Amino acid sequence: MPATPLIEVRNVSKRFRIPSVRRETVREHVLDLFRPRPSETLQVLDSVSFELRRGETLGLMGRNGGGKSTLLKVITGIYPPDGGTIVRRAGITPILELGVGWNPDLDAIDNIDLLGCVMGLSLGELRAATDEILEFAGLERFAKLELRYYSSGMASRLAYAVAFRAVREVLILDEIFAVGDAGFRERCQDRFQALRAAGHTLLLVSHEPHTIERFCERALLLEGGRIVMDDDAGAVADAYMRLLTEGAGPAAGGEGHA
Amino acid sequence: MPEIARTDESPRATGTAAPARRVEREGAHLAGLIWTLVRTDFKTRYHGTIGGFLWALLKPVTMFFVLYAVFSFVFASNPAYKLNLIIGLFLYEFFGEATKTGLLSLRAKGFLLTKARFPRWVLVVTSSSNAVITLALFSAAFVFVLLVQGHALRPATVALYAWYQVQYLGIVTGFSLAASVLFMRFRDLNQIWEVVIHAGFFVAPIIYPLDILPERLHIYLYLWPPTPVMMFSRAVLVDGAIPSLAAHVYLAAETLVIVGVGMLVYRLASARIAEYV
Repeated sequence: MPATPLIEVRNVSKRFRIPSVRRETVREHVLDLFRPRPSETLQVLDSVSFELRRGETLGLMGRNGGGKSTLLKVITGIYPPDGGTIVRRAGITPILELGVGWNPDLDAIDNIDLLGCVMGLSLGELRAATDEILEFAGLERFAKLELRYYSSGMASRLAYAVAFRAVREVLILDEIFAVGDAGFRERCQDRFQALRAAGHTLLLVSHEPHTIERFCERALLLEGGRIVMDDDAGAVADAYMRLLTEGAGPAAGGEGHA
Repeated sequence: MPEIARTDESPRATGTAAPARRVEREGAHLAGLIWTLVRTDFKTRYHGTIGGFLWALLKPVTMFFVLYAVFSFVFASNPAYKLNLIIGLFLYEFFGEATKTGLLSLRAKGFLLTKARFPRWVLVVTSSSNAVITLALFSAAFVFVLLVQGHALRPATVALYAWYQVQYLGIVTGFSLAASVLFMRFRDLNQIWEVVIHAGFFVAPIIYPLDILPERLHIYLYLWPPTPVMMFSRAVLVDGAIPSLAAHVYLAAETLVIVGVGMLVYRLASARIAEYV
């Protein structure tokens, strides 16, 4: 009997309404109350279904605008789906958009506390892990420096270091291996492999075919908000490359939202 | 209509963890999150000012003694008015500051909303922490001065004053829950609220005694939440009188309604707030 999947995504749909004119204030809503406002509905995810099984490393590929980032946010619970069911049977740590969004007035240690708590670590765990996080990011010398003085690369490294320390049973990563210098990427890959070896379940998004082939057993290809392929990682990576070279127009346009 | 369902069978702990252990872990996580948000808000707010944290603690107390000295001179013939004015000013300052930071709270911490799933209401509830610290320090200084002046404060009246402030905080939190999610969609709400706060200063009986207005208007003034808190606080601390049971019931009901409506609006509108970041 097959093991129960840790995450089940069944017929999940997500759409965004894009009005021709944005109304973002009370004044605009009141003044334009009776003025028609045509809008376009963007179907970013369309009946997406798949399962993430315990201990597996699943890849997710797709062109820009294919809905990958939206799918990850829906799985994680950051966005609610418009339709379908998501069953989560384990804690999820997402590593999404971590390069941006810090409190620039706080130093690295306080920002580690802030992000670490949001990602599910207790204060005790954070106290014990702060040095390790700074060391992983290669930022020990800048621990007391406010984030406003960090470069974008330094801020990203710090974010990934926190997230890697906060890992729960399922880890969701969006373009993790595109951050930092070669040394940092190598540390990320080593950590990733260690998590795999420890039995964590991983969902990895990448545009790099060799990354998906190297780290994943199985992969999904998302195109126009639909899963068009669910197969061996190598086969999906090949199909993705064919899509890029032979592909038609742009995908649906889900990424970049929010 | 498509089925919409999200099932979270084990959101935090591992699937095999015992329920008690999971609750314990989630409790520790929540406590850590609240403490970190309060601490970092405090640190962010007073960073770079002269004296730093020390100034943050001294400011409300200093303000109190400055006002006290000035009003003692200006209103020398009417000491009760002086005390009532100081209470009114500080309580209204608390209301204005706490509701404004509450309204902005989700947008101000928007960078956290798209990082992970966590109890977002914590961002709203903790946003008033700086204002609460200021109010607590003011209250301590005020009670101290009353005792030095020989006012016969009873433990019951001080306890009632504290209870009114707890309800005041509930009112602020209820408002903040609703306003913070609405502000994600209506980006001029803060400007509108700023105008309301300025107008409300004259609705609340801060600089004038309520008695100068016809009694039939009092009920309308009491609908403005700072008014009953202000009036009851003055009664117990300055006059040494305990408001009636009906007055207490009114304040409790007003608090419950605002908290209830705030929670309802938050519940209805919060699911999609990350999409507005």
